[in-house]
Amino acid sequence: MSDESAALSRASHSITVPPLLAVEGISVRFAGVNALSDVSFSVQRGALFAVIGPNGAGKTSLFNVLSRVYQPVAGRVTFDGRDLLRLKTHQAARVGIARTFQNLGQFPTMTVLDYLLLGRHTRMRSGIILGGIYLGPTRSEEKRNRAYCLRLLDLIGLQHLQNQALGSLPFGLQKRADIARALALEPKLLLLDEPAAGMGSEETEDIAAVILDIKEQLGVTQILVEHDMALVMGIADQVLVLDFGRAIAQGTPAEIQANPDVIKAYLGEEFEQKDADTLSIPTDSSR
Amino acid sequence: MAYFIQLAFAGIAQGCIYALIGLGFSIIFKASEVINFAQGELLLVGAYIVSSAVFEWHLPFLPALLLGLVATVIIGLLFERLVLRRMIGRPVFSILMITIGLDIVLRTAVIMIWGSNPVPAASPFSITSGFTTGGVHLGANDLWTIAITAALCAALFYFFRYTKYGLAMRATALDQEAALAVGIDIRTIYALAWGISAAIATIGGVFLAIDSFAIDPTFGSTALIAFPAIILGGIDSVSGAVVGGIVIGVIQVLTAGYESKVANILGAGIHEITPYLIMILVLLIRPYGLFGTRKAERI
Amino acid sequence: MSVTVTSKNARTDAQPPRLLGNISSWLALGIGLLAVIIFFTFASEDWFTIVNFTLIAAIATLALNVLSGYTGQISLGISFFMAIGAYTSALLGGTPPTSPLEPQGLGLSFLIWIPAAGIVAALVGALIGPTALRLKGFYLGIVTLALVFIGQYLFVNIPGITGGPQGRTFPVPAFGDFPFNQQNQLLGVAFTPGQQYFLLFGAILLIAALFVGNVMRSRAGRAFRAVRDHEVGAAVMGVNLFEAKMGAFILSSFLAGIAGALFASYISYVTPNYWDLTLAIQFVAAIIVGGTASVWGSILGAAFVFGLPQVIDYFSLLPTGTAGSLTSGNLNALIYGLLIIVFLLFEPGGVMGLVQRFQKLIRKFSHHDERKGGEPAEIIDLSPEPGYLDQP
Repeated sequence: MSDESAALSRASHSITVPPLLAVEGISVRFAGVNALSDVSFSVQRGALFAVIGPNGAGKTSLFNVLSRVYQPVAGRVTFDGRDLLRLKTHQAARVGIARTFQNLGQFPTMTVLDYLLLGRHTRMRSGIILGGIYLGPTRSEEKRNRAYCLRLLDLIGLQHLQNQALGSLPFGLQKRADIARALALEPKLLLLDEPAAGMGSEETEDIAAVILDIKEQLGVTQILVEHDMALVMGIADQVLVLDFGRAIAQGTPAEIQANPDVIKAYLGEEFEQKDADTLSIPTDSSR
Repeated sequence: MAYFIQLAFAGIAQGCIYALIGLGFSIIFKASEVINFAQGELLLVGAYIVSSAVFEWHLPFLPALLLGLVATVIIGLLFERLVLRRMIGRPVFSILMITIGLDIVLRTAVIMIWGSNPVPAASPFSITSGFTTGGVHLGANDLWTIAITAALCAALFYFFRYTKYGLAMRATALDQEAALAVGIDIRTIYALAWGISAAIATIGGVFLAIDSFAIDPTFGSTALIAFPAIILGGIDSVSGAVVGGIVIGVIQVLTAGYESKVANILGAGIHEITPYLIMILVLLIRPYGLFGTRKAERI
Repeated sequence: MSVTVTSKNARTDAQPPRLLGNISSWLALGIGLLAVIIFFTFASEDWFTIVNFTLIAAIATLALNVLSGYTGQISLGISFFMAIGAYTSALLGGTPPTSPLEPQGLGLSFLIWIPAAGIVAALVGALIGPTALRLKGFYLGIVTLALVFIGQYLFVNIPGITGGPQGRTFPVPAFGDFPFNQQNQLLGVAFTPGQQYFLLFGAILLIAALFVGNVMRSRAGRAFRAVRDHEVGAAVMGVNLFEAKMGAFILSSFLAGIAGALFASYISYVTPNYWDLTLAIQFVAAIIVGGTASVWGSILGAAFVFGLPQVIDYFSLLPTGTAGSLTSGNLNALIYGLLIIVFLLFEPGGVMGLVQRFQKLIRKFSHHDERKGGEPAEIIDLSPEPGYLDQP
């Protein structure tokens, strides 16, 4: 992470700019399981915020709360000055929250371009009647938005696949198309659900570059859920560690790597305080 | 009062037939998550074969029944093996439609072989058999229907609870992947489910035939009434199917018995739709039926 | 950190795919038009009957495709909405009763009762929709099935509109004193009933097909397909599930109502048990055989399920004097029953799916493949787009 960005995030802490997203005391419970217990954190505008934790820690549940699929049993979430928890699922996109999917293959027959246009659903207006007539407002709307999506596809390197069905693409490209689709919304907050899952080191670097580009050139705030430590520690501004639904640590990557609670969560009880400085979460790619 | 009891008794018997059909649906659904729209036509084919065996080939009733059972079980197994097995993982709509396809094929085949005119139903009882007490006539057919249904339920209960294959079926119904992991052969389970359901359908069909004195190709649509029954009871509850069937049967027959009194307000034939009205009511309040369980959806 | 990308195919094709985009489309249109004109001029009345039935059936198949094929809502209840449309048309357009025993009719023009049939059916759909669409999958299917039975019960018991169990006559479209069911002259040219109906049904089908096709290539259509493929994902992307399902339901009911009115008018005398489950299932068979989520698939499917038995009858393809009931209806049912199974097993896209596969094969052999496999671009430039972050 460059010096300027580090200075910026320090500076943004000292000036009290309200965070884009403030999560306070969120608890999610279903089927007798406490998926999240009293989780709180905040994300500054423009930041790259990562959420990590062992499997089952509640990361996806957190995303589901933020994208309004789940309703927490307790807590408050303020997004861009509004109470997020009052929104229904489809309204999250409308206020500028976009989310990529962890498991793909939900829309196998849709072409890449149509998928992006679907991402622009909340930015377009034609209904059934206007759509049926087509000539006039719908046609110009389609042209405008197609052009936008094609530019987006061009920038992300998928323009030549615009008419391919999503299901026919290799997994890595589907992930890429999914990110493009989320960007097509012109979001204020982008939730990336394991964007590097199933990728080799070269593809992971590409994704990291994309994520950084989104941050630095588009200024979109991002929350990243990931298992790939190298990726997370390399690019995140702030990292939140979840374990069994609880937030056990939050800080810069360096702080998290040295945090004994985090080490304990990942490696077990045997590694205590005294081992903390000799041991740290591995961040190199050789695994 | 005697009239009411007479109707209630007939309703229970009718309900038992719905329960049998519902059981067939439920077993297949629990084992393989398939809604077998063709269950009614299996019933139809079974009834026709039994009748043919008795009247055209002059077999006594029980061997004819056996023949019908064997035939429908074979049809059920063939369909499961050749068609359904290739449909695993396909969307609900497709699987529902493919069983509708089977329904169409079976019904049309029946019409083409036997014609569309009613065929007399084979019955081991005479029309007047049974006994009368307190002004209420308990027909032999109805008595046997209730008795056999109860016996089948007991047998199935024992099967599911205490036998190896029954346990395997319950395991498969709960979690297919886990069942596979412990070495249960899912294909055998599916085959077993379809075989049992086909056999139960035939038995139900034979009772229904005896009750109606004649069978015609529209018989299969009676099986559709089993849908309200299983929705009432919960589609993945075997005991629910039985309870639902009997409740629906009783309500339907009672309605039929008393509807002439309200004919000027409600018109004719409301007993044919009361099961569906009940079903809609149930779905409004408890979309998963009285005993069914909600399924979680993963994103 | 920004480097410009050199993408090889910098074809920023912002034009939506056009209906008549290239030479081959125009050629196909020309040939089609020629075929229609030849048919129109030379076909016999019997053939017109076959084709006219197919045209109306295609409208209903389109209706079902909108709801089930594109939006994924299982419906076995299209005959109910067709009936609503038919009885609306009867009420508005039927001949006024001369005795209290005859069913009602206001004698209005077809220019009123055809659209009204659609509108009333759509209104009924709007009423039922919020409750029905809360259910999913099999449960929705069963409720729509129940709708058919409840509908039949209702229709039998309102003889004032439906004529009760004996049924009633339905209005004939007419321009003033010139009803379509007899030969009429216009500008010195004689038009047979078949031809007049053909023009009417063809025009309605054309408008319906264009409308539905347009909807499906615009925002609403994408939302429908998203709802079909993965509801929760669609909602996360901003699709209002309720609105989308209701929209599809209402559009579907509208078209079904019109189709019902046209069916009843063409058959001219219909009893309430015409609108039964078998009819609804025939349309489901039509969308499967023809191809779900496809306008052409709807037309092909209708041709197959409704046109074919009549063709078989016309050519007397069936041996006479067979035992049992080998009618064309039964044979056709057997065929489309088997086809449902075969298509769902091997080609869920129906006939249109087969056509598309065929087209892909041709494209593979005929010109250089533009798909370049899956290497991602190494370097990317995401310069801010004008207006990117200008949003309320």
